[in-house]
Amino acid sequence: MSILDGIYKKAKLNPQKVAFPEADNWKMLQAAYETAKDGYITPILVGNSSLLRDLCIEKGYDCSIFRFVDIQDKEYKEKLINMYVSQEGRFLKEKALNRRMEDPLYFAMVMQAVEEADVTFAGINYTTGDVLMAGQMIIGLQQGVSTISSIGICDIPGYEGSEGSILAVGDSAVCTNPDAEQLANIAIEACDTVKALFDWEPRCAMVSYSTLGSGQGELAEKVVEAVKIANEKRPELAIDGEFQLDAAINPLVAQKKVLRESKVAGRANIIIWPDLNVGNIGVKLLQQFGHANAYGPLLLGFNKVICDCSRGAPVDEIKGNIVISSVRAAALTM
Amino acid sequence: MDRKSIEDIVIESVCITYERDKSEISCETNIKEDLGGASILMVGLVSLIENELDVLVPLPVAASAKTIGELVDKVEGILKKG
Repeated sequence: MSILDGIYKKAKLNPQKVAFPEADNWKMLQAAYETAKDGYITPILVGNSSLLRDLCIEKGYDCSIFRFVDIQDKEYKEKLINMYVSQEGRFLKEKALNRRMEDPLYFAMVMQAVEEADVTFAGINYTTGDVLMAGQMIIGLQQGVSTISSIGICDIPGYEGSEGSILAVGDSAVCTNPDAEQLANIAIEACDTVKALFDWEPRCAMVSYSTLGSGQGELAEKVVEAVKIANEKRPELAIDGEFQLDAAINPLVAQKKVLRESKVAGRANIIIWPDLNVGNIGVKLLQQFGHANAYGPLLLGFNKVICDCSRGAPVDEIKGNIVISSVRAAALTM
Repeated sequence: MDRKSIEDIVIESVCITYERDKSEISCETNIKEDLGGASILMVGLVSLIENELDVLVPLPVAASAKTIGELVDKVEGILKKG
């Protein structure tokens, strides 16, 4: 069974409304159509409706599968704006929001903010920066979260970890140099996300060059502090460290290096990197030398689920990320 | 709108967003060093400026300003372009 089979099954049980502000891109449209046709999502195409309909007809897609939302539909736009500005804690007011909503990405996110959609899925034409900025401005961050971060799901051939060949890692894509508090939040959100996706009991290792004080210095101290904060904030979660990577995932090494009880050491299913240098290089090592498939990045920290796929992503990868996003959104409603 | 009026609105917005007193903020205030804060505060600041001046200020443009004076310059430039 592939990594995504279980997630696809879950998605079908509770299909979520996914807004696509880039459906004029053929890859995005195909991915939206195929995931919808198979019953994983309810797609909403946001943009120029007549153009999008023409594209669907040209591709031979059944238009009845989609909800088309035209960003020039004044009545609907006004309704969305009124709903949005009446929400507590929103920065933007009517005029400014009206202007921003000329961009389909912002329009889609406003729909999501007022519960007309459950996910905004973008990134094939928009840059990561565009998606993150719009997300911060329209959707906002979770309370107590000061930075956006991400995790990726790696399927590593030949790796026999505590969850078989699968390992969740974060942050390899977004947050450059988290402080201890931010690192703790990344670990906590990674646990919640992984639990929602896989029903795993999260075992999260915060990694460093040091295992429980074997190395000294401020880089390791940040990780120690982050573990402490995470444990204080969410004592029920198994978040532990600081561990070297081998002590985190290899039971034999853990036996030697971790001379105290730990639910995580040697059997971690989530690895939290100390910063983006490590994280990005780490995931590239997994891909290049370990021939891993990496899904994501799954963005963490927003009030709702936003997905920024890779601009070079093939249709199958986009479909995988759409379904993952849908399952994450469904978990928020439970 | 003249520069002074734009400056007043930008400074007022900075005070609200970063919870500072007006006396602490001037065109020389360095956004990163003197104000610090998370990037979400810059999002809030841009939103307030957009609300007040009815203009779209791209976040990367605002984020590239080192000082409040530079931010005022950028907003003024956008307003002039219409």
